[in-house]
Amino acid sequence: MLNVIDYVPGDTLLHRLNPVSKLALAAAIIAATFLSDGFAPLAGLLALTLALAAYAGVFGRLARLLKLLVPIALIMFALQLVFVRGGRPVAGFATDEGLVTGGKACLRLLGVALPLVLMLMVTKLTDLANACVEKLHIPYKYAFTFTTALRFVPVFSQEMNAIMEAQTARGVEYDTNNPFRKMRLMLPLCIPLLISSVGKTDATALAAEQRGFYLRTRESSYRRYPFGALDAAAFALCAALVAAGILL
Amino acid sequence: MATIIEMDEVSFSYGSDAAHALDGISLTVEEGAFVGVIGPSGAGKSTLAACLSGAIPHHYTGELFGSTVVAGRDTCDVTLTDISRTVGSVAQDIDAQMVASVVEDELLFGLENFGVPHDRIEERIDRALSTVGIRELRHREIATLSGGQKQKVAIAAILALEPRVLVLDEPTAALDPVSSRTVFETLADVNRRLGVTVVVIEQKVALLSAFCDRVLVMDRGRIALSGTPHEVFGNGERLRAIGVDSPRTARISNSLARAGLTARTEPCLDVDEAYGLIAEILSGARGAGVRTASGPRRAGSPHAPARPHAEGAQPVLTFRDVGYTYPGGGASVTDLSLTVYPGELVGVVGQNGAGKTTLTKLLNGLLKPAAGEVRIAGLDTRETPVSRIAAHVATLFQNPDRQICKNTVLDEVAFGLELTGVDPADARERARRVIARFGLPATEAPFALSRGQRQMVALAGVVVMEPEVVVLDEPTSGLDYRECMTVMETVRDMADHGCAVVMVCHDMEVVSDFAERIVVMADGRILGRGPAGELFADDALMARASVTPPQVVDLAGRLARGVSPAFAGITEVSDIVSTVKELMGRA
Repeated sequence: MLNVIDYVPGDTLLHRLNPVSKLALAAAIIAATFLSDGFAPLAGLLALTLALAAYAGVFGRLARLLKLLVPIALIMFALQLVFVRGGRPVAGFATDEGLVTGGKACLRLLGVALPLVLMLMVTKLTDLANACVEKLHIPYKYAFTFTTALRFVPVFSQEMNAIMEAQTARGVEYDTNNPFRKMRLMLPLCIPLLISSVGKTDATALAAEQRGFYLRTRESSYRRYPFGALDAAAFALCAALVAAGILL
Repeated sequence: MATIIEMDEVSFSYGSDAAHALDGISLTVEEGAFVGVIGPSGAGKSTLAACLSGAIPHHYTGELFGSTVVAGRDTCDVTLTDISRTVGSVAQDIDAQMVASVVEDELLFGLENFGVPHDRIEERIDRALSTVGIRELRHREIATLSGGQKQKVAIAAILALEPRVLVLDEPTAALDPVSSRTVFETLADVNRRLGVTVVVIEQKVALLSAFCDRVLVMDRGRIALSGTPHEVFGNGERLRAIGVDSPRTARISNSLARAGLTARTEPCLDVDEAYGLIAEILSGARGAGVRTASGPRRAGSPHAPARPHAEGAQPVLTFRDVGYTYPGGGASVTDLSLTVYPGELVGVVGQNGAGKTTLTKLLNGLLKPAAGEVRIAGLDTRETPVSRIAAHVATLFQNPDRQICKNTVLDEVAFGLELTGVDPADARERARRVIARFGLPATEAPFALSRGQRQMVALAGVVVMEPEVVVLDEPTSGLDYRECMTVMETVRDMADHGCAVVMVCHDMEVVSDFAERIVVMADGRILGRGPAGELFADDALMARASVTPPQVVDLAGRLARGVSPAFAGITEVSDIVSTVKELMGRA
């Protein structure tokens, strides 16, 4: 089972960027998405994200996430239609102002959610942690916590699946079509999941300590993450994106 | 040789009112030794490992008495990090130990932290990977590796740090016999070539006796026996009383010695030794090989009595040309055909990844066949929701913690019944009876019990259902010998009462003791099915499925070919012994 944020190997310019530049790029796209106020720039930024994904060869993976996000975006669109009462009525309860704000909210949601996920897909977590420690001077403890949390997502979801399978085989009706009933049935599972997670994190902490976790400093990393010309270009692009976001 | 580990009267309890997990342990280990530790669950094996690795006193809290000196330093006086420069430990839960997503980064982590000069890192990584034999995995994602490969990565990551002692807690618990053996071969190699002292906790006696030069048997926090494998496994009676298995070949030689057929007091630890011993005994009896033409005469064994299915009984489970492929490619099974009658005990054997677990999931309806048909108790699994199939099929999973979700043992055991619509009062009454039979504490919280007892709670939850079919997925992993026998005897009892049992199991000795029929799988296909003794004796089939046949079957086959045909088809220790006696008597 592959996870959405799993690293996809590759050799594109995007893969070769410094992890910090990738983060900056994602942050710039997100910032620009918040700052700009117009359909064209919003759609443009989303298109940029998707184009980058296609270039890095992870479009298919991103599309899977998109499939989850689009329904949420549509719900938001519908809510905006109901709640925004200003403007001229167009059809039924929908007003033109509602259509405009709803449409923008939709694009913003997608524009904000995708860039970071895209960056995680083309960066190894260890590289991200090491580069952040080296360049951004983040204490390794926090970087390790963050990457471990991300690494545990698939581990826990596998564990959850295994627990659900075991319970289904006992006769708990997870195969019911009623989502509320399913939610109610899932609650008791929190206990076994919690117990196994507490055990796992404790084991992880111990294993990390036994491999010299507390000795690690900023200089420890074997790999270095120097900024190159490519990164300079990426930062220029970031500045341009944010500026464009403010202007447009 | 110098002493590297010295424990003096060490006692430890997790909390002041808890019982002693270790109780006055004194132990010295010489540098370069290969020490195996075995014992029933709750004997304090993992606590011992924690003391050696420094996790006690630095990570776990409790009351510690006595002193543990590793490489000349008391573990109480130095930090955990400093201890781990000398002692590398491989945890039981491999997934929890991993810190990186790529093999290379996993090895880098420790090297970077301990400040190994950067110009030496490349060499260290390369050496650690080649020692373990996984150089080609260097750039692989850890998530895509098999269990055995992951275990090797974990060992390599520790070896790269060049520890003087390696402590491993049940490194083969989740592995099939072939991968288990390679892990031990790796350890032996590291021990021999690099002189690293190895302390390994292990339940598989055949591995311990083949690789260790010293075996410690632990019982209730103490070291009950200590010595070479030959010395330790010669105490068959004592081991059985503690609840530790001994190699089948050792049981044979011990029985022969008791019967006065041999003067040899050392037990035989493997098939070669036992073959040599029996051939030697019988060579005294002139012409024994030529004279016996009685041929195979055994019908089943005392352990697995033949249960001919009742006349005209309907099969309770049928697989007809079943195929299934996991979405996203990967593993798949094809053309599975299988019929199981009430009262049968069928073992499913094969390597990791052969499709055994997929078969069990198709059976209890968790997976629906993509091709063919699975019928169970008259229901087509494709048309019946899993929750309804559950009334007919009960599954005992490998990890009981995934099954248990209630606050008391009684609620837990009654839960399955309540789900299938049994009246709550009635369900509790039935649950109480089963709990009493297992001797479990009805009002305790299941999570406060030991691992072995939790497995018993899960088993009670299966028994109370009185199902038509029971599916067991690795029922004995993580259990000690005594718990394993309790589980298997309960299951056999259910089979005697007409329940069909399908069991996936890596322990071929258990399969051969209890299953009358086996299904051999490899690469998602069924290679063969039939009587257990017959298939286990089929060398070509076993080789194709990469299954190591049980020791007794292997020995009997070799004796039948090389010494006397009277040994053909034997699957039981006692039959080997009585055949030897018979041949001696006739000579």
